[in-house]
Amino acid sequence: MSVEVLSKTVNLLSFAALGLTILLIVRTSLVGQVRVFALQSFVLASLSVLIALYSASLELFGVGVALVAIKGVVIPRVLNRAVAKIGLQRVAAPYLGTAPALIICGLLTIVAFYVMAPIAASNPLPTADAIPLAFAGVLIGFFIMVNRRRAVTQILGFLMLENAIFLLALLATYGVPFIVEMGVFLDVLVAVLIMEVFVYHIKDNFDSIDVGELGNLKE
Amino acid sequence: MMLLSLLLIPLAASGLIAITRRRALMELLHAVASMATLGTGAAIVAQVWNGAILTAAGDLFRVDALSALMVAIITFLGAIAALYAVGYIRAELDDAHLSRARLFFTLFHLFIFTMLVAVTTDNLGVMWIAIEGTTLATVFLVNLRQTRTSLEAAYKYLILSSVGIALAFIGTALLYYAGAAKAGEISVNWSALRAAAGSLNAEAVRLAFVFIVIGYGTKAGLAPMHTWLPDAHSEAPAPISALMSGVLLNVGLYAMIRFKTVVDAAVGPEFAARLLIGIGLFSVLVAAAFLVRQRNYKRMLAYSSVEHIGIICLGLGFGGYWGLLGALLHMVNHALSKSLLFILSGNILIKYHSAEIREVRGLLHGAPWTGGLFLAGMFALIGLPPFAPFISEFIIFRAGFENHPWAAATGVILLVVVFGGMLASLNRMLYGEPPADLPRGDALRVWLVPLAANFALLLVLGLTLPSSLVVALEQVLKILGV
Repeated sequence: MSVEVLSKTVNLLSFAALGLTILLIVRTSLVGQVRVFALQSFVLASLSVLIALYSASLELFGVGVALVAIKGVVIPRVLNRAVAKIGLQRVAAPYLGTAPALIICGLLTIVAFYVMAPIAASNPLPTADAIPLAFAGVLIGFFIMVNRRRAVTQILGFLMLENAIFLLALLATYGVPFIVEMGVFLDVLVAVLIMEVFVYHIKDNFDSIDVGELGNLKE
Repeated sequence: MMLLSLLLIPLAASGLIAITRRRALMELLHAVASMATLGTGAAIVAQVWNGAILTAAGDLFRVDALSALMVAIITFLGAIAALYAVGYIRAELDDAHLSRARLFFTLFHLFIFTMLVAVTTDNLGVMWIAIEGTTLATVFLVNLRQTRTSLEAAYKYLILSSVGIALAFIGTALLYYAGAAKAGEISVNWSALRAAAGSLNAEAVRLAFVFIVIGYGTKAGLAPMHTWLPDAHSEAPAPISALMSGVLLNVGLYAMIRFKTVVDAAVGPEFAARLLIGIGLFSVLVAAAFLVRQRNYKRMLAYSSVEHIGIICLGLGFGGYWGLLGALLHMVNHALSKSLLFILSGNILIKYHSAEIREVRGLLHGAPWTGGLFLAGMFALIGLPPFAPFISEFIIFRAGFENHPWAAATGVILLVVVFGGMLASLNRMLYGEPPADLPRGDALRVWLVPLAANFALLLVLGLTLPSSLVVALEQVLKILGV
């Protein structure tokens, strides 16, 4: 595989990943949102496998496989189970509607290019061109979390943020070492399982999973 | 070997407690494990401060003088909180709630384990995993009472800390990139990064440090990322509040300090200094605003943690021999006094069944031991001599007036505001008529005995600076580049 082909494919896949992050804002069905996240995990996994083939790295290949297993299959299942159990299909209105949210996504992408372009330019790796795209994903994932009211959709925002950070590390350094990456996946998995438990607790206690209801602790 | 057992003891304890059925056995395992952790920790600290550097599992774990300081804080205060926890949990969770007591003791040791891994590993990535692990281990502890407010606090804590720590991962990855791009070979060890620091990509290092300060600053409770802290620290059971405020915040700071050493070597000390002074001052300011008229004594202690972490950041930012020495001392002193006060707050809560300051009347009369200790602890915390925090704050601001007089002056003014606010709250709690139906006497009096150790240390460190401690801290300062 030539460097140009790799670089172009990486750009394309990173762009697809960012597009999926933005799609999360547009989708209103929870099942659909979980599907978007699973799809993005598959895109990232194929990116890792691609780079693994290019750099002949067995470790990175393993990371790709683990990514599919944990973020592509297990976590979406956990989320679907939660969605089914709380019997909720639609997303509650976020603080900002779709149109303003999309404008903010555009602005955040510009900011990402502004901040990351110098760093990407100094990076000799053929994947570096896509670094600003990954960083845009980080900012947008962060924005999605802040903009959401319901616990389940906040978790989705968090997972998109995690994915974007994974992509950033992958593009900038071909990923962090295997043992670290596995530890990170494990942490994320445990975090999601704990969050799931909390979604049930919140549902039982407040009869809703609107985190706007969590307002008892004030000064 | 010793290093591995330090990590394995709490991990094994956690696993064993999870499968015990009888309360007595649970408590026995808990106490034995805590003492064994303390003993092993003390042995390691003694070795390292005598000049040795311990490593284990290849280059995965490495304990130098800075790690040893953290091990000392974690194991010592861990043991104190562990002893009190036995009595506290007996009072809070009777045999009908045995499964929750089991959960408490299991997670307690898991919490200690994750903190010990975070400070003893040489690998940036493993440190990140362990610090995220501290959140995961404590989130159910915050929600131990399973009320609506504790649920809210735990959820906020989980989400905000997870996001914060995710941002810290960007910083880690960027620094890793800066290191790997330079060295060609992949090296994410502190030791290797320090060695290569001079030739790292400055742009990437600066950006990395901003993310680190935001990310680990969230865990350290720095404003404006502190919003989870008053909720989580006030809802958690007292022994856990003591560890979260006294110890866990320091682990967040420890991560920032490690990164700072690399950043200072790569782009000069001025960059990190400005960032830390700014965020430190802002934290003291925010804390002062909430401490002026605080209605809840556990929240008061929590905001005071924001304030003290801010002061420590100021010390790190002022830098130089005195600034850094003051910051290190203040980490120890704040840990000693804050864990003491949070443990006492548990006693007050058991006695008065309320965390509201206005519900607590006549503490000195109603619970003399608790009240007297609380009074002395508060004096230590707000920086009155002869207690140790006075010395460390004095050293920090002395360094500040030398090179950043305006920041130091603002800090001192805010400290005076905090002083007044906390003294007024203390006053309202100590005096007045205790509620008529309140029986006189202290709750859990015998369980307060271990706090004598905190007190002794606060007095010793306030009246003298033992030369052996200064020698140890100077080894740490050498790691920090002074």
